[in-house]
Amino acid sequence: MAETLQIAFRGKAVVSESRHLLLSVSPGAIWIVVFLVLPSLYLMAVAFMTNGPYGLPQMPLTLDAFEQLAGFGFLGWSPGNLYTLLRSLWQTFLATVLVVIVAYPIAYYITTCREKWRAIMLLLVVVPSWTNQVIRTFGWMNLLAPGTPLSDAAQMLGLIPPNMGLYPSNFAVTLGLVYNFLPFMVLPLYAAFEKLDTAQVQAAQDLYASPVRAFWHAVFPQTLPGLLAGTVLVAIPAFGMYVIPELLGGGKGMMLGNLVANQFAGGSNWPLGAAGAILMLIATFIGLFAMRRIGKRLGGGEEVVI
Amino acid sequence: MKKRTLQRGLSGFWWLTLVFLYLPLAVVVFFSFNAANSAARFTGFSLRWYERLLGNEQIISAFWNSLVLAIVSSVIALAIGCLIGYGMYRHRHRKLGWLIVLIYLPIVLPDIVFGISEMAFFVSVHRHTGLLQPGLLTMIISHVTFQIPFVALIVYSRLVGLDPTLFEAAKDLYATPVKRAWHFLLPTIKPALISAFFLSFTLSIDDFVISFFTSGPESATLPIYIWGAIKKGVTPEINAIAALMIGAVALAAMLSLLFNRQGQR
Amino acid sequence: MKTTTTMAAVLGSLLLVGGAQAQEKKLYLFNWTQYMDPEIIAAFEEKYDVDVVQNYYNSLPEMFAKLNTGGVSQYDIIVPSNYYVPRLIETGLVQELDKSRIPNLDNVMEQFDDPSYDPGAAYTAPYQWGVSGLVYNAATFPDAPSSWSLMFDPEVNPSHPFALMGDGQVTMGIGCAYLGHGYDCSDVDAWKESAKLLLDTKNRERFSGFVDGTPALQQLARGVTHAAVTYNGDYLFYKDENPESFADIEFVIPEEGTEKWVDVMMIPAKAPNPDMAHNFINFILDAEVGAQLSNYNYYASPNEAAKPHLDEVLTKPPVQFSDEVMQRLHFTPSLKGDKLQTFTQLWNEVQSR
Repeated sequence: MAETLQIAFRGKAVVSESRHLLLSVSPGAIWIVVFLVLPSLYLMAVAFMTNGPYGLPQMPLTLDAFEQLAGFGFLGWSPGNLYTLLRSLWQTFLATVLVVIVAYPIAYYITTCREKWRAIMLLLVVVPSWTNQVIRTFGWMNLLAPGTPLSDAAQMLGLIPPNMGLYPSNFAVTLGLVYNFLPFMVLPLYAAFEKLDTAQVQAAQDLYASPVRAFWHAVFPQTLPGLLAGTVLVAIPAFGMYVIPELLGGGKGMMLGNLVANQFAGGSNWPLGAAGAILMLIATFIGLFAMRRIGKRLGGGEEVVI
Repeated sequence: MKKRTLQRGLSGFWWLTLVFLYLPLAVVVFFSFNAANSAARFTGFSLRWYERLLGNEQIISAFWNSLVLAIVSSVIALAIGCLIGYGMYRHRHRKLGWLIVLIYLPIVLPDIVFGISEMAFFVSVHRHTGLLQPGLLTMIISHVTFQIPFVALIVYSRLVGLDPTLFEAAKDLYATPVKRAWHFLLPTIKPALISAFFLSFTLSIDDFVISFFTSGPESATLPIYIWGAIKKGVTPEINAIAALMIGAVALAAMLSLLFNRQGQR
Repeated sequence: MKTTTTMAAVLGSLLLVGGAQAQEKKLYLFNWTQYMDPEIIAAFEEKYDVDVVQNYYNSLPEMFAKLNTGGVSQYDIIVPSNYYVPRLIETGLVQELDKSRIPNLDNVMEQFDDPSYDPGAAYTAPYQWGVSGLVYNAATFPDAPSSWSLMFDPEVNPSHPFALMGDGQVTMGIGCAYLGHGYDCSDVDAWKESAKLLLDTKNRERFSGFVDGTPALQQLARGVTHAAVTYNGDYLFYKDENPESFADIEFVIPEEGTEKWVDVMMIPAKAPNPDMAHNFINFILDAEVGAQLSNYNYYASPNEAAKPHLDEVLTKPPVQFSDEVMQRLHFTPSLKGDKLQTFTQLWNEVQSR
């Protein structure tokens, strides 16, 4: 008797616990479902619709948009979109590598400084990213335009032809991306360096004579989780970047984000834009998944990734 | 000896990086005081672009739009996100996979996909029902959507960091859940709520892409205004307005430093 | 916590007030940047006790996209150019004008009564007309030919940055004109040839970007570019406003021909305040207001009655042209259906490759 009562009681508790979960979580969950999941699904549906005469989606369903994205159009196959895709991948890769090259020593250097300075140094790295993206990019437009000291110097070194500026160009886009995402790499790397097991490093220094090998065998593997986290934080948003190529690229640096945005903001083809968005989503999830796998193999656990 | 050269090299690199990080911002501020209408030559100190700002109705209305958008969306996101964070904490031993996916979705979705999804959705809802006309309301909805996860995660991690026995003690102390929430929970997570509010606020003020795609005729925010002005052909007024925004960020940075110091004491 | 609640309540009511304000008398004007005398707006606001809210666009695709994404029920007046008129009508984004409420239509020149882009002028009332021409820095190119070769021939301009126009149809037409197919080409083979020329040009080191007409002038004045495409009135406007920066900047109509356009006032299909929109069109078509508009904008007026009030500068090039020059000016063709899709694809190629 007592036992059944207890079970009944426990059952009731479970029910009220579930209700509690539902009550606390549902407003937010519903909000995200209604205002993000539904819109995303709608966008995906748009990708399968026909492009109307003036760029709006229509029935019937079709795969035209994906064919167009792959370059098949009215005039046979053309490589324009492929160029855009490759350019996005290349810019993302280049920017990520450059960010790592800058961020790695910086993150290390901060950990070697005195404790009371570290918070301030991190803050100094992060503060520029608190300003608006448009303003930051505008700052670079001012710096790189023709006739500015930087452009003149580049001309004297023969890096750019006379009378030209460093902006607009693909170089300016890369620079803008590196500038924009540097803090996202410094922070996780800093966290990794701070947790560095110095005993291991000491042992490695005794074991291997050369500091390069000691670094490679003892330091680098320990910072890898931070590096991976940083790569995800840099590469994914860089791949979908819209503002920087638009302002600094001058028509030569179009990336996937611009291709997608132009279909909506330039009023030409919603289904094509939606198909491009799907491509971007797939790339995002592949990136996340790959990082997760690598992260797990490294034994860093799941929290490494996000 | 070797170590010292390495350290010296690193320190040099650090200062170079700081120049890299602050040069573009410094240039904007510097030229905002330029007497001439030029980004290449500085002809003299002048405040005339700031004076022009004050007379520009559009900039002033953009400023208010930015502020209202950031405050309203942060307040809503705080309420909703706080609830989720607490729910996640209370039920952290259950499988909440679906919820985690839902919460990370707004964070991992590329801005541009986020923006156009919202836009396409709002437009088609508006076409069929007449509701959700693009404007401040649709912007608030979108901003709340990307703020919720951050609030939830901050609140969650604060709760996880607490001593579980505290909850038991609170249970003994206060009879009803409402009292418990009011007298124990909210005061305990107050620092998390404050930082979540500031983060939401910053995210909202910073956002351009999502606002750009969900705005209406009267709801341009400062970044949207600046974007339009750049697209139209840069005028020195943009330097002035951008310089003011950079100044606000610098102020916020100093405040957060001060706040941190006090927290440590 | 109490303060937060109060704050939320205050903000909530603020929002409601904002919503209520939208019900007040307002006119939403969606126009090109730098295309309206603020004094005209002030006069209109005073006369009709209404608040005019202005929004701006830099290109027609941008305007069209905004209308498609909700703008059709948010703006009262739009000012598109001739070749976007047919697609606005066909997509149902605009409404017919009630001519009985626009008596000042009588002031309009005869040639705008039955234009090719809007037979019978059922939907449009003309605003201004002008041309897209070549602008360049005469200090850089003292012997510049009056020709698009300044853009397309690397031997004519081997060393200085230049920009083409952001609007694809105009840039494609300019390419066609240079190649001898005429500015108003709409033949697919001509387009292909033009697209190839544009691609080659774009990939030259000195190409600086596709820039819309108004910002192109700012870039020119700042030395970012040394040759570009822009509109005649904007050129005169900025030159007058900033004579020093624009001292060496010249505007020409190239030999190969270029675009003439008419910008027209239209009322979106679901405009919130169509009554006031009709009042606005009538107000702009007034003889004196029409002249004031042109005197401010430096664009040619389609208003016959405004003629006596026009400034002298508006009676000569680059605002009014001889018959010989007029021969070289053409409307941009209106595209639709397969033709439009083909064009869009070609233009996408040019942009992305």
